[in-house]
Amino acid sequence: MRVLVIEDETQLAAQVAERLQSEGYVVDLANDGRTGLHLAQDYPIDLAIVDLGLPELSGLELIRRLRADGSRLPVLVLTARHQWQDRVEGLEAGADDYLTKPFRMEELLARMNALLRRAAGFAHPVLIAGPLALDTRAKQASMEGQPVALTAFEYRVLEYLMHRPGQAVSKTELTEHLYPDEADRDSNVIEVFVRRLRQKLDPDGTLQPIQTQRGLGYALRPGLGGDGR
Amino acid sequence: MNPSLIRRLLLVSSLVLAGFLGATGLALDQAFRNSLDASRTQRMEALLYTLLAAASLEEEGLVVEPPLADARFRTLESGLYARILDDAGRAVWRSQSLMGQAWSGTGTLPPGEQRWAEGQAAGEAVLVLSYGLEWEDPAVGAGRFTVELAEALSLRQAELQAYRQGLWGWLLGAAAALLLAQVMIQRWGLAPLRRVAGELDAIRRGKRQSLDENYPRELLPLTQSLNRLLKAERERGTRYRQALADLAHSLKTPLAVLRSRVESDPDTPAPAEVIEQIERMDSSLQYHLGRASRAGRAGLGESSPAAPVITRLQRAIPMPADRDVRIDVHCQPEARFPGPEADLMELLGNLLDNAAKWAASRIRLTVDQHQGRQLTLVVEDDGPGIPDTLRAQVLERGIRGDQSRPGQGLGLAVVRDLVNDYEGDLTISQSPLGGASLRVRLPLRPGVLAAT
Repeated sequence: MRVLVIEDETQLAAQVAERLQSEGYVVDLANDGRTGLHLAQDYPIDLAIVDLGLPELSGLELIRRLRADGSRLPVLVLTARHQWQDRVEGLEAGADDYLTKPFRMEELLARMNALLRRAAGFAHPVLIAGPLALDTRAKQASMEGQPVALTAFEYRVLEYLMHRPGQAVSKTELTEHLYPDEADRDSNVIEVFVRRLRQKLDPDGTLQPIQTQRGLGYALRPGLGGDGR
Repeated sequence: MNPSLIRRLLLVSSLVLAGFLGATGLALDQAFRNSLDASRTQRMEALLYTLLAAASLEEEGLVVEPPLADARFRTLESGLYARILDDAGRAVWRSQSLMGQAWSGTGTLPPGEQRWAEGQAAGEAVLVLSYGLEWEDPAVGAGRFTVELAEALSLRQAELQAYRQGLWGWLLGAAAALLLAQVMIQRWGLAPLRRVAGELDAIRRGKRQSLDENYPRELLPLTQSLNRLLKAERERGTRYRQALADLAHSLKTPLAVLRSRVESDPDTPAPAEVIEQIERMDSSLQYHLGRASRAGRAGLGESSPAAPVITRLQRAIPMPADRDVRIDVHCQPEARFPGPEADLMELLGNLLDNAAKWAASRIRLTVDQHQGRQLTLVVEDDGPGIPDTLRAQVLERGIRGDQSRPGQGLGLAVVRDLVNDYEGDLTISQSPLGGASLRVRLPLRPGVLAAT
């Protein structure tokens, strides 16, 4: 999952980025509104964290422009403005959630999680696709009720796929959303991870939860049972 | 309090007027008395000569032949008397007006001498003119005589009395007219000052921004200075709120940094008291800065319709993630809040947010406007309610009804402050829904709320 943090306080931005990275997110940083808007429009971002008091372009204006463009990118406002009017205006501009500073990092993570889930159409923090369940709070996958031990990267691959039920996800898309630097992106590595993931989730090969669609990429098998909601 | 300007001016001008008119009256009185005395002297001398002109020397002495020039000599006790004394002081002739009356003499005079003296004749005080002379008549002989002429003092007194009455009457009338004119002139002249006071009051109530430019020249320095002061004050207010917002922002970000720093290291968990202190700093900041920025906007004229604000606000209330809570709104469409939208949002936002934390499944918001006099906002929930013992405490800043629920405990304190700012009241009771019922009443016009 790739998160854009638009925050002009570099120290706070760095701390948020550090924490998000340690949680397995890929983080892009922007210090002003204009850069932030540009990144949000042109990069494969899954969620944006936006401060309201930004130089160049205010956070509210940034969100309005993004929405005017037709973007449905989940946006979480992170601001020092605690008045209800600011909150109402922020949400009316098109933000999906509003968190005031100082905030608890856990709260931020929980809200981000919820926003990502909602964007994918899930109402509950445990994503379900047939026998496959992913607890986004505990970062734990399970198959038919049995926990499956996954590495952080394997988890992220599965999480990304599960947030896009029924959609084919290309290797390029996966690398873009899961790798911070272009230099590290190697689609062969993705193949290796997907193969390992398949083995862990379905050791005897009966369910085949992750399908390869030639020329399109990977997708959760539609007939897996759950409709994801 | 200082005496009013009008009273002050009136006091001084009446003192001046009294002094001036008093002095004028005294001077006129004095002048009139002098002229009375002078004319009396002349008159008596003339009368004396008239007597002498009619006098002739007879056997018994010098006598005056009737008819006498002035009728008063012939009228008894007329106040004008005359007699002639011979050298021995014996009266040789008396005017008829002195008939049978006593006249204590003032004594004879040598020839050619004249004397003015006060005495007593016919039972009243008189002014006596005596004149000594030597009369020769070749037919009869010669003798020394003293002619005495007396006029009652009461005559002059009566004249003076009449004059004085007229004089002081007119002077008092003039004083009263002048004072009345003075009062009217002052009222008219000070009218611009009353206008300034009226306009200042309108400014205080937020009905206008500055004083009229159209004032008398003498007041312009005052009104222009006041306008500059008001403008500076407005700008200062704006700067102040801006500075507060900047301060809040510049303090909250470091707090956020601090907090995420102490929380982000899972190996060395931060002491609970550090987190607690950060939270305290945050809530103090939020509370005091919010309060200070609110104090800046106190326009009484402004009002906002409640229904649209509620519609907008409803979507912004964070709902608990673990249960479904519904907000039912019953709002009179014409209900208006007596202040800016931001304050209504702050008020209802905090009330609904608080209710959302406690409600099991339902929140009811009722907005009523009673005869355009007061606005009632009631927020009820079906949560556990607030025990009687906690109700007073719940409204205190930073004290939470139950520490285990999220929230900084500020919300209701902010509500309480806002309600105070609007001179309303806030009551907590038990709702028919089962939980707490928080009722806010706000007067729509300055004045007291209706009795509960």
